[in-house]
Amino acid sequence: MSGRVLVVDDEVEMQRALRTGLRYHDFDVKAVGTGEDALRETAGWRPDVILLDLGLPGMDGFATLRALRPMTRAGVIVVSVMPGEKDKVRALDAGADDYLVKPFGTEELVARIRAVLRRQADVPSGQPVLRFGDLQLDLARRLVSVEGRAIHLTPTEYELLRYLALHAGRPVTHTTLLRQVWGEYAVGDKYNTRYVVAQIRKKLGDDPANPRFIVNEPGVGYRLEA
Amino acid sequence: MTRMTRRLAPYAVAIGGATAVTALIGLLTSRTSASGLSAVYLLLVLWLGARWGRGPAVAGSVAAFLLYDYFFVPPVGTFAVRGPAELLELVVLLAVALVTSQLAASLRRAQSAAEALAADTRSLYELATAALRVPEVGTALSMVCERAERLRGVDRFAVIAIDFGQPVPLAGSHPTADEVHQALWSYENGRSIGIAIAEGAVKVMRTHTKADSNAYVPMTSGVALIALDQDHDDEVELQTLAALIGLAGLLLDRRRAALEAERARGFESSDRLKAAILSSLSHELKSPIASLRTGLTALTAPQAGLQPDQRELLIDLDRQAARLDHMVGDMLALSRLEAGVALDKEPHSFADLVGVAMRRLRAELKDHEVTLDIPDDLPPVEVDELQVGRVVSNLLENAVEWATPGGSVEVGAVARDDVLEAWVENQGPPIAPADLDRVFDTFWTRRARGSGLGLAICKRVVEAHGGAIRVENRRRGPRFTFTLPLARVPAEK
Repeated sequence: MSGRVLVVDDEVEMQRALRTGLRYHDFDVKAVGTGEDALRETAGWRPDVILLDLGLPGMDGFATLRALRPMTRAGVIVVSVMPGEKDKVRALDAGADDYLVKPFGTEELVARIRAVLRRQADVPSGQPVLRFGDLQLDLARRLVSVEGRAIHLTPTEYELLRYLALHAGRPVTHTTLLRQVWGEYAVGDKYNTRYVVAQIRKKLGDDPANPRFIVNEPGVGYRLEA
Repeated sequence: MTRMTRRLAPYAVAIGGATAVTALIGLLTSRTSASGLSAVYLLLVLWLGARWGRGPAVAGSVAAFLLYDYFFVPPVGTFAVRGPAELLELVVLLAVALVTSQLAASLRRAQSAAEALAADTRSLYELATAALRVPEVGTALSMVCERAERLRGVDRFAVIAIDFGQPVPLAGSHPTADEVHQALWSYENGRSIGIAIAEGAVKVMRTHTKADSNAYVPMTSGVALIALDQDHDDEVELQTLAALIGLAGLLLDRRRAALEAERARGFESSDRLKAAILSSLSHELKSPIASLRTGLTALTAPQAGLQPDQRELLIDLDRQAARLDHMVGDMLALSRLEAGVALDKEPHSFADLVGVAMRRLRAELKDHEVTLDIPDDLPPVEVDELQVGRVVSNLLENAVEWATPGGSVEVGAVARDDVLEAWVENQGPPIAPADLDRVFDTFWTRRARGSGLGLAICKRVVEAHGGAIRVENRRRGPRFTFTLPLARVPAEK
């Protein structure tokens, strides 16, 4: 699998390292140093994935992200040195697909880029049945099973699992889950999501200390392992 | 001369008064019926006693008797006393003079004492108000010292502040090194020397006989140095002295509170500065490390076309860069904890925290069996998820590092009363008994390569949550045990 990756980072050394590393993995790479250039290249070059550093000079990462989101369906992976959890949540809520904390190894980055590309490929197919290892969700019939054994979920539990499944591999924030599953009024009560996730894990036979399916993203939310 | 006149004037009035009364009686009465009117003399003597005291009263009564005897008592024109009745009259006059003057004198003494006390209280009140209004405590204390030295019996009054154990002469005449030494002793032992304050007055200790030796009174923030002379028996003055010592103590307390507030502000801002510098430094250090790691790992791809030994070298270098990154992160975390980072406490499942840590350390844990002993019905803990996640990660990393190759690691938890007790244990060599107390010290490490920060961070995070952490050698190997507060909300609705 290959694709176009736009690197947005103001450090020349980082640009060069990323360009070299990603090219070895058969990606087509362009690197820019400012948010304005990122917008221009996104419009003209049409990348599949944008690697966006939050600490940009001038137009910062968040402003760039907000400007980018309506103009492209490209996956955005936000990159930052020492982001606070609030920064991660803010970036995800502003439309980023994933985040990566600097420093990182090239392999980890490649894995994240591939996950984003895979999801983009999945979306148009609109499969009625989603599979994650032993976990299976039949969206048309609202059926959930683990290792072929049917699992009974309450409507809330099913909605939460479905939302995570539709965004499998991506971190989903508490806020997004609360908004999507409960509605706007519930935003702010993280206890709801924690409680429901604990119930789902119990029913799926997932050990919270060593989960196979739903993984905690500390300070952010949850991710369903793709 | 004038003083003499003032002293003699009452006697003149007494004699003049007796003469006037005699003339009055003579005008009003016939000679034969005067005896009943001798009572008028009593009025005069009463007035004299009340006004001027015993001396003029006695003088008045003697003059009255003589005049009465001479002019009205037969044989008129002589001082002869003939019968017991006349003698009795004389004795009554004298006795009345003595008793009234005595009563009047004690009344007058009480009144003048009350006036003196009122004046003293007023002046003390004015001094206290002024002293407390003066912004500079040293100036206010000087006012107190001056006032004290104006008291009868007080030769000297000085105040020595004790700032964080250091004596600082603040007001009054400068003490000698010896006196400062004595003052410090008095302060440190909380004992007065020479005088004591009891029931709102200064009492001179019986042992304090030498007039020239100083007295010391310790207060909460300093010491009062007082030199008394022989003439120190005035009750009112000693009460005032006690009040002045109290006022000096108050002023010293005010000064100390200001000093401590200033010191705390200094500490706080230096802590915040330290955290800010470290934060910025960490950022500056992490950016080049990020470029290093990305570049080094880029070249390990097979497409880079390097020889296996060259790739090995790059992988080693990347590991070093990752270690550097880890240490920078630890230093930042520790400095933030020391600066008093705010905890974002919420109810969390302990199993979730362990799950996150285990995922993060997947690579490190792959050669070890990890057994979990965490009950399903464990109540949630009230913690900062990220900070406590760091504790679990650090302890797991430590366990893996010290486990025998392939040795197992155990993570467990149990609820006890209102806390969760959790532990991380690894199969491996015990920690030397002498080191058990030191493992949580900052920068202390069992190996040459460690940063010595991981366990120090654990201790700080656990203690910030009101818990405790300890280590002991168990049969299989060392076990770290820590406690966390349980959340008040129930785990299940």
